[in-house]
Amino acid sequence: MERPVLSMRQVLLAAAGVAALGIASGQAFAAEPFLVGALNPVSGAGSPYGSGMQKAIAMAADEINADGGACGRQIQVVSEDTQTSPDAAVLAVKKLIDVNKVQVVMGTWSSGVTLAVMPITTAAGLPEMNTSGAPAISTEDKADLVWRFQATNGRFGQAFAKIAKERGFKRPATMAYNNASGLGNTEGFAKAWKEDGGKVVASVVYEPKQASYRSELQQILAANPDVVVMGSYLPDTTIILREWYQSGQNPDLKWIIPGWAANEKLVEALGPDVTQGVIAVDSISNENAPSYAHFAEAYKKATGQPAGSNVYAAMTYDMMVLWGLAMQADCSKLTPEAINGRIRGVDSASGDKVFTFAEGKKALEAGKAINYQGASSQLAFDQYGDVTPDFSLSVVEKGEIVRKSVVTIGK
Amino acid sequence: MLSYLLAVAVVALIYSLMTLALNLQFGFTGLINFGVVGFFAIGAYTSALLSQAGLPLELTLPCAALAAGLAAWPVALLSLRLRIEYFAIVMLGYAETIRLVISQEEWLTGGVRGLPGIASLSVGLGIPGDPTLVAFALALACVVGAVLVSRRLVHSPFGRMIQAIRDDEDAVRALGKSPGRFKVAVFVVSCLFVGLSGGLYAHYITYLAPDQFGALLTFYIWVAMILGGAGSVGGALVGSAILLGFIEGSRFLHDLLPGVSAVEMSSVRLGVIGLSMMLLMRFRPQGLLGGKAGCG
Repeated sequence: MERPVLSMRQVLLAAAGVAALGIASGQAFAAEPFLVGALNPVSGAGSPYGSGMQKAIAMAADEINADGGACGRQIQVVSEDTQTSPDAAVLAVKKLIDVNKVQVVMGTWSSGVTLAVMPITTAAGLPEMNTSGAPAISTEDKADLVWRFQATNGRFGQAFAKIAKERGFKRPATMAYNNASGLGNTEGFAKAWKEDGGKVVASVVYEPKQASYRSELQQILAANPDVVVMGSYLPDTTIILREWYQSGQNPDLKWIIPGWAANEKLVEALGPDVTQGVIAVDSISNENAPSYAHFAEAYKKATGQPAGSNVYAAMTYDMMVLWGLAMQADCSKLTPEAINGRIRGVDSASGDKVFTFAEGKKALEAGKAINYQGASSQLAFDQYGDVTPDFSLSVVEKGEIVRKSVVTIGK
Repeated sequence: MLSYLLAVAVVALIYSLMTLALNLQFGFTGLINFGVVGFFAIGAYTSALLSQAGLPLELTLPCAALAAGLAAWPVALLSLRLRIEYFAIVMLGYAETIRLVISQEEWLTGGVRGLPGIASLSVGLGIPGDPTLVAFALALACVVGAVLVSRRLVHSPFGRMIQAIRDDEDAVRALGKSPGRFKVAVFVVSCLFVGLSGGLYAHYITYLAPDQFGALLTFYIWVAMILGGAGSVGGALVGSAILLGFIEGSRFLHDLLPGVSAVEMSSVRLGVIGLSMMLLMRFRPQGLLGGKAGCG
């Protein structure tokens, strides 16, 4: 009796087996890809930004790959969700490092997540790139492996103080949502304002998720301030402004609010009368740089959203581009530590300004020093690995958020 | 891969310490504790703060357990006066109060900014080697200890008494025994486990902030206990392992469903976790190792 050579099922099984082997031993193939971990807040509190951040990393990796890769290595991005929770992020980063064998982790958003992930990446000798605000990140980073692409909350506070001074306010009060970011903003403001000889007439810290903030608001209004500086989020800001307007007290009071709370949605929810004159402050992307135009076009194409809707996406895009350039700067050593050590080199003040990976790669191959000008900011990392972006000052006028000026604070 | 599995196992072990405790409280005594996370937070912060004050971990971990036990004592006395349902609500409020105190008392706990840079178990105990492995060994030792204590308790006359309280408190009274003393003892002893698990957690994650101690964790522990089977010591371990298996295993779904975007994936994950639990409950309502249906 003759057996059939191979049944269809056996062929398929064999094929699947070979494919599985191929996946398992993926690194054995020639020109093995360089693995990058994208660890973003796809769900949880950071979910409005997380998927855009993840797409921006993939976009930058695609650009690098389209240009022949960094040092001939293709970039492969493995993504994980932090769920905006330190516990989930700890396991997610362990998976990225131990299972996926990534060589750099980028894109953590909330400070709690970054602080929980940092010790693990540092112990593994891997760099970590984030968009978190908490000052503790700078001091905990003892191995110089952590890079922050967002302004610290303290710098936001300094920008608030500068704006309040320029606008001639004399009696500021502060209201902060009780979390690290909210407090960081108002305390940064109070510190900068007091150093300048000013006085804060009242300050309130409120608990999140209340239905009403009337009593907190009364404490502020009783001190008769001319401006209230907020460290707040959208839902609470909406309630506070509405209650202030309904109370009819201090109708001339002005508000300085971070951009993530004072946005189109706030105006939409409250209408033009309530929001008239509200001052919105946000860190801005490097809008005049060609890198931003380049990023904005690609982002729009990839997500269908304007780049301005997610400032963090530009930051994560820069992480990937900067990393690719740091790889390219010396192809003979591609260990995570060695690449990490070259990050300041491709961001050096004396180098030729470059705006994309392709430009940078060409300049590096020509033996020039380069200074990558990011889409999110010009970067220029300080000794802590923190950037100093510029801030925008916008005012709500008849229901429109109108950009008034760009605020630069001391480097 | 091994190191990742170890990391998941550490969390599962930390959860199972709490599940063992809740099992003693609910599964064996019928006390409904919706405030597990409160004692967990007390343990975590106690150990973290003491170690930052310079005490060695050999001392801070027992202190974590003791602190949670001490905090449990006054609430346990309350359980004597309150009916079971009211006690559950009081516990929910108690845990929330603890979270609020932690977020307000900045001078002590760092408030909402959290406590970064807590010594890890391997550094704090001076044990060289892979930190995850050290954490795993230590957590395993604690769980084994807790299992032994649980078994000992449950199979003693004391254990029969608490199960009698669970089944019919009035009958126990009619026999001339006072249930109160037993309830307090069970509650305090089991909260020692919860405090210890908090201490392990603090030195494993090395960063603490109040938002890590929300009510969700309490319900995770309830889910783990119910999955494993209320009233079964082994069930507590199995339940925690399954819970973590569902939560972490769903990460790998991404590799199986390449066409699904990251955002959709996070929702799919939650859906899969929920569905698997429902199926388990549908086909095994008493939990995997539960002898008889839960009571209370």
